[in-house]
Amino acid sequence: MSKQGGKGGAAKGRKPQKPGADEKREDVLQAVVIADSFQDRFKPFTLNTPRCLLPLVNVPVLEYTLEFLASNGVQEVFIYCGAHSESIEQFIHDSPRWSPNSSVSPFQLLEFIRVNDANSIGDFLRDLDKRGYIAGDFILVHGDLVSNINLEAALAKHRARREANRDNCMTMILRSVGDQPHRAANARGITPVFVVDPTTGRCLQYEEAHPLQKEHKIDLDPVVFTHGEFEVRCDLVDCGIDICTPEVLALWSESFDYELPRKNFLHGVLKDWELNGKMIYTEILEDGYAARASNLQMYDCISRDILERWTLPFVPDSNLKHGQSYRRIKDGSYVEDHVVIARGSKVTRSAVGRGTDIHAGSSISKSVIGRGCKIGKNVRIENSYIWDHVVIHDGATIVHSVLASNVVIGAGARVPEGSLISFGVRLDQGVQLPEHPPARLSLLTADGERAKPDTKLVGEKGDGATYEVPLSEDESSSDEDADRDPAILQTSLVYSLADLNISTSSISTLASSAFYDSDEDTSFTGGSLHADSGPGAGAQSRSRLSSFASEDGAARFRSESSFHGDAVTGLIDALRADNAEPFDSAKLEFMGLRLANNASDAAMRRAIAVAFVRRAAELLRPEHGGLEPTKAAERAFTAKKGAVKFVKEVGVAGEGEKEQVEFALALQRALVAETKEGGIVDANRAGTLLAAMLQQLYSLDVVEEEGILAWWGDKRASEGEEMVRVKEKCRVLVEWLEQASEESEEEEGGDTEESEEEEEDDD
Amino acid sequence: MAPSQASHTPSLATWTKSLRDQSLEASIESLIFLLKRRQVTGDECAGAIAQLLRQVVAKSKWHDVDQLLYRVQTAGARLARAAPHEPVIGNIPRPEPASSPTTSPSPARTLTSGLQVSKSMFNLLSVADPSESPVTGASTPISQAQQPFSVHALRSEVMDGIEEILDEINQADDQIASFAEIQIHPGDYVLAYQPSKTVERFLVKAASKRRFTVILASLNPPAPGEEEQPYAALRKKLNAAGVSTINLASNGLMAYIPRVNKVIFGAKAVYQNGGLLVDSGACIAAQAAHEYLKPVIALCGVYKFCPEDPSDEVSRGELGNPSSYVSYADGPELDSFEVENTTTDYIPPDLVDVYLTNLGPQTRHHLGGIYADHYKIEDIGFSLQVGE
Repeated sequence: MSKQGGKGGAAKGRKPQKPGADEKREDVLQAVVIADSFQDRFKPFTLNTPRCLLPLVNVPVLEYTLEFLASNGVQEVFIYCGAHSESIEQFIHDSPRWSPNSSVSPFQLLEFIRVNDANSIGDFLRDLDKRGYIAGDFILVHGDLVSNINLEAALAKHRARREANRDNCMTMILRSVGDQPHRAANARGITPVFVVDPTTGRCLQYEEAHPLQKEHKIDLDPVVFTHGEFEVRCDLVDCGIDICTPEVLALWSESFDYELPRKNFLHGVLKDWELNGKMIYTEILEDGYAARASNLQMYDCISRDILERWTLPFVPDSNLKHGQSYRRIKDGSYVEDHVVIARGSKVTRSAVGRGTDIHAGSSISKSVIGRGCKIGKNVRIENSYIWDHVVIHDGATIVHSVLASNVVIGAGARVPEGSLISFGVRLDQGVQLPEHPPARLSLLTADGERAKPDTKLVGEKGDGATYEVPLSEDESSSDEDADRDPAILQTSLVYSLADLNISTSSISTLASSAFYDSDEDTSFTGGSLHADSGPGAGAQSRSRLSSFASEDGAARFRSESSFHGDAVTGLIDALRADNAEPFDSAKLEFMGLRLANNASDAAMRRAIAVAFVRRAAELLRPEHGGLEPTKAAERAFTAKKGAVKFVKEVGVAGEGEKEQVEFALALQRALVAETKEGGIVDANRAGTLLAAMLQQLYSLDVVEEEGILAWWGDKRASEGEEMVRVKEKCRVLVEWLEQASEESEEEEGGDTEESEEEEEDDD
Repeated sequence: MAPSQASHTPSLATWTKSLRDQSLEASIESLIFLLKRRQVTGDECAGAIAQLLRQVVAKSKWHDVDQLLYRVQTAGARLARAAPHEPVIGNIPRPEPASSPTTSPSPARTLTSGLQVSKSMFNLLSVADPSESPVTGASTPISQAQQPFSVHALRSEVMDGIEEILDEINQADDQIASFAEIQIHPGDYVLAYQPSKTVERFLVKAASKRRFTVILASLNPPAPGEEEQPYAALRKKLNAAGVSTINLASNGLMAYIPRVNKVIFGAKAVYQNGGLLVDSGACIAAQAAHEYLKPVIALCGVYKFCPEDPSDEVSRGELGNPSSYVSYADGPELDSFEVENTTTDYIPPDLVDVYLTNLGPQTRHHLGGIYADHYKIEDIGFSLQVGE
């Protein structure tokens, strides 16, 4: 490979230098730490303190991240901070280990990058691309990462792949957590779904699922099926460690609207694979520890993992932070120097920081207690995280809560499960905090102003008030169909779906699958994924379809991903709207979706059929007026101006008999699916509705009688019991049509159907 | 071109390479974190510490013995505190001040007695208790009154002493192995519990002279699907020398004990009372052998002799990562079990029959002599709280 022919001395002299310099550059491992998440899941704790400086087992989270980078031999670190950037910079400067001026820092370079107008992680990365600091492969992590993984193997694989093909631009490190309920899997709220080629580890598609979403399924991109083999994995904890080539930054720059590294960037890049040709790989770990303290539940989970030593060597008695002096004592606890545990008190499986006094009769289990705390007599603390300088008076009980620094808990007070008590809040003696919903107390309001003490809650001498989460919850409850933001799952300490009122049978849990089941050319139901939304089941469903063969028809159902759901929702919304706005905008939106997803005619037809059927079915229900089927059908099609035209042009899309048959079939299937779901009481009613809708379409000149008759005779229309039952109800209509056509043939001897229909219109 | 295979993960090798370019403080700090992150463990520690101390002597500024002692002790104490699970670390700085500039009576150390400063050395040591001095930085002047000798001469003297210790550490395994043919007899059945490097060398050496059978006991059976049998390299070597080997999972150990002639394992450290710090599981092997009156032989270099008694933390054992027993992926198990994976065992002295050191086989009753030879009384009180 190297050309060392008979060149001149000068050339020879230059040659060895250049590759040498290049190599040296490559050898420097760079890392980018994103120290701002642009989320508010840790509020009210993060009102004054950045998330990455919150103590996790008495060590700021950022320490874990930096130590992880140091343990992997990273030499240059760039830290992006947004909110509270001054305190993060101060923290680094004051740290004897990380300060850039320190002679002992393991990093050759540690630099802060401030971006004034950044609103998302995407803004950071686009900024990074402009700066040109990145020379070669770099590691992208978040400032809340706890991991003991050795990246050596993954880096080597990444390099090998990159050498083989320039388009292999990124490797994601993921941790498998098995197919059973797992605390780390529950805690993450959103279930990432990775479609992965098991042999190469290439990621083919990325989706996100969460228990609050309307349709508990994902749609697979047909391109996925062109691979011989793939797995759909939702058992992975995404620890946010990405090994990237500089091309990744270029990709970010190309798409100015990407905000999140997974939901936007990964999803988008994979979807546009045919355009950009970039490939992203996964490295799925079966051992080692990696997780992000990205919400309070993960905080809880990681704290427990640290106390149980899963994160070795990141355990308290490794004393990785300067000035710590933890040692292990009996009962699996860790204490620092100058901790006084009085006789008769019991500390099990906990960590206690320097200078904390625990008085007699108290019991502390599975908790973390910070430095300089005073814990009185007969206090009970379980599974709780208590930060520095907290005073807890005699007889108080604290269960599974987070108490930030300088909190004072009065004697005999009770802090039930899930409470979050922010900096400096005081509870008077004997106060009982409410259990449902758990208290969230702060001295400050969401705007950072001093809150008026809520004496009813914290007692006469207490201080602090309920922190109102600035989340428009009433909005989401008024519009029940809207996807609720999964973030509300993550703001509480205790994972629970109980309060969130999730109905398992919201619009189309099963309907769509049944619908797909019956559709002959969409046989990928096996690949769509149904997460049941019982408590704690967020991530149980793990489909490993390792032997999913690619199918001949794969190319036929172009991009069902997200098209169907979006289209149906859009159409229904437009149909529901009471305003006089014409249907054109909905049509425009629909066509846009269609183009964006490259949806097939069949998919469009299906979406339109489902939308109209749902709207009609909705009108049957008492809360929407309880209309008769005929009225409902008429309302569904004619209430909006332009809807009929839309159905004719887009839904049926064609003058031919075949298209009309297809559309009728689509209607029928949608209705059958709807009966299964419980939207309409029984199949009889559904049949009546179908007949009404068909008649309406017939009278509106959308479907012609040949179409309906052909549908009647079509084999597919009578597949399965349900289909037949729905179909039976149309017999009257069909017979009437047959009669009419005979009559018309007799009378006019083959006149055009148009005049015929005009006549029928008058009936 | 092949992709760059350069390893980024810090290790002892990269640390040694960086010694030359880095400042002393940075070297100390990076070694401390290598120890804390368990990227340098076990037998590597002793050598690393000795190398570091050589740097301390060579690079730090000192004007008299007192300062030198202080520097060595602070560095030693910081390292020892960084890894309380490796008691050997504390041993290395200990013989330093005692042996290097003095004429050590130890048979192992044939130090040139060039400077007759031993008396003043220990006087100084006893007067200026480092833990009481307010020294924190490098510039604090300590009594500069006594300078009866040239700093330069002392420096080279001490450096030689450290070289010697390094040599001792490096040669210990070979020296121990040289006793192999005395300990192992033809036709023996030798049970080696989780053979360390020392034990491996010992067995290979014995195999060159004797015909015997080695039973290799390990804690965990090989994971299904793992082709590599444990200790495959060792087995290959032994088999090549004509020694047959048997692999044994820990739970099958008891059944083999009656057949075994002796049990051999390497110790991580030896305490003053004769107790041993060993890999977890070795205690069971020792107990079983004890019940059947089979000799238990512990292999350990003299540098592993710690002049202290075991604390109760030692007897409780160092806790490892539970993932050796329970997979983190197993959610229900994770929530319902508390898994304590002890990675070290403490073997009480009465279970050990022979301590095979680089100075030859010893019994418990003769350990006192070794301690007396290697450590001064003053050093035994060596406080780990110095510094910081």
